Amino acid sequence: MYKQYKNAILSILAMIEMELRRLRHDPLEIIARAIQPILWITVFGVVMARVRVFLSIGDYITFITPGVILQSSTFIALAYGISLVFERDLGILKKLITSPIPRSSIVIGRILAGGIRASTQYIIVLISAIAVGAKIVSNPINLLLGYALLVYGCMGFTSLSMILAITMKTRERFMGIIGAITMPLFFASNALYPIDIMPGAIKYFAIVNPLTYIVDILRKLLIYNSCEVFNDIIVVTIFVACTTVVAIKILNKIVE
Amino acid sequence: MVLAIEVRGLVKIYPGGIKALNGVDLDVDEGIIYALLGPNGAGKTTLIRIITTQLRQTDGYVKVFGHDTSTQGSNVRSLIGYVPQEMSLWSDLTGYENMLIYSKIYGIPSNSRKKIIEELLEFMDLREASNRMVRIYSGGMIRRLEIAIALMHRPRLLVLDEPTIGLDPAARRLVWGKITEYCKEYNMTIFFATHYMDEADRYANYIALMNRGIIIARGKPEELKQNVEGDRITLKLSSIDDNISILNIFSEIEGITILKTDGDTIEFSTSNVSYTLPKILEKLFQNNLKIYEIKIHEATLDDVFIKLTGRRLSEEEYGRYREAITMRKMIRRGS
Repeated sequence: MYKQYKNAILSILAMIEMELRRLRHDPLEIIARAIQPILWITVFGVVMARVRVFLSIGDYITFITPGVILQSSTFIALAYGISLVFERDLGILKKLITSPIPRSSIVIGRILAGGIRASTQYIIVLISAIAVGAKIVSNPINLLLGYALLVYGCMGFTSLSMILAITMKTRERFMGIIGAITMPLFFASNALYPIDIMPGAIKYFAIVNPLTYIVDILRKLLIYNSCEVFNDIIVVTIFVACTTVVAIKILNKIVE
Repeated sequence: MVLAIEVRGLVKIYPGGIKALNGVDLDVDEGIIYALLGPNGAGKTTLIRIITTQLRQTDGYVKVFGHDTSTQGSNVRSLIGYVPQEMSLWSDLTGYENMLIYSKIYGIPSNSRKKIIEELLEFMDLREASNRMVRIYSGGMIRRLEIAIALMHRPRLLVLDEPTIGLDPAARRLVWGKITEYCKEYNMTIFFATHYMDEADRYANYIALMNRGIIIARGKPEELKQNVEGDRITLKLSSIDDNISILNIFSEIEGITILKTDGDTIEFSTSNVSYTLPKILEKLFQNNLKIYEIKIHEATLDDVFIKLTGRRLSEEEYGRYREAITMRKMIRRGS
């Protein structure tokens, strides 16, 4: 039993290593995907800060930094599911499911790998935000905890992406649906403005939007230097657990 | 002795009602090279996917070294090495990295990992290319690397699905040379599916011919070919003034059947051309008959397939041409 768990954990780590090696060989996607959030911070953030639209918010650039981190990371996580479709079309998935590791560890490994890939935006966005005057805490524990919880949250979006990739069947449909949900997820959350000022329906959507809670975690850790994130973590955990369980359940479907 | 693979009454009906397997029985002894030969769409890949625990059958059972694939999947998976038809490598990693990641997934202990990888890279002639990206590998190199990966955990059974699809003849020979060499050294059982009859004929000890979800014939390649009329020989002789005496000459030789005579040409069949032909030639020389032309058509597995189904293996293939081309593109993706 112990050996079985050990092998499952080693295989999950191997999949993370695989993702990191791929990133090292070809960092272009990460660099290309960093352009948009940098513009959100350095153009949108700077301009909106001057206009002073949201009077309740003191420093707007600082306020939107966690939101932009999430926007950028979520985009990458949500696009990650396509890799599973590619791997099914090739023989990689067939090969993986005939290896001695449990099928669930294939999914968990890939979800974690996707989360780590997505979280690379954390550093890029933080640096660009600090460069234009955002006030981010310097406490390394908060910074590391923020990173870990970002990976955790992105795991949920990676699972969601895998579920969509499996259900949509074709790449075109998948890309279409991803395009359709990423922006609403971003705008109907607390990433760019506080929930209090939203109109009714959007407010309710923002409350059930998992992105809101991950942004809240980062905002508390990185800006307010507060560690009162337990409630947010519970909500994110429910999101990650539900999507992961569904992704594991329907892995067989993608193979067959 | 326990069988490497035991298949009984296997039926697979896909959702939508497509019957891919319609009652397959198969016994594969340990230590042999067993070919599953049939056209595309015969059900070979479905059978392989059930044997390798990827799919569940609708009815019947499969046992690998005595372990049921439905109930003891994890035991089966630790005993087999598998190379799917499509490419199973990450093309944006190097050959070495692919082996390293798979070795960790397969739970190869860290102290022997490096040694095993290097030995197999050396064995497959891939050592020099091991630090290059897989996307610049040729089709043959990709296959050799995939086979090396399948061998890392020293499986007792190696399952290959169309191992040389899309490869040129030289690459096919090299791939098979490596497989057979390894098989001999470690007494490993090989079960492979192919639609290349020459490949099954040349490398397999035993062949099962498959068509439309059932096994239509099985046996050693020679046995299968003997079931058809045998090898056909056509001789063009100097003069046939006295047909009866020529027929008499032929009738004295055992093991031949005259198929037709047409002027100075005689066509007959024999079960063993290399044994019969010298005898015929000797008789003809003794009777002062000159031979102008000899045509030998050795029986092929295609003849067996024609006899059993009324169609050529290649005809069945033709309808699936586009599928094969797509597959080839996938395998060569990145090259």
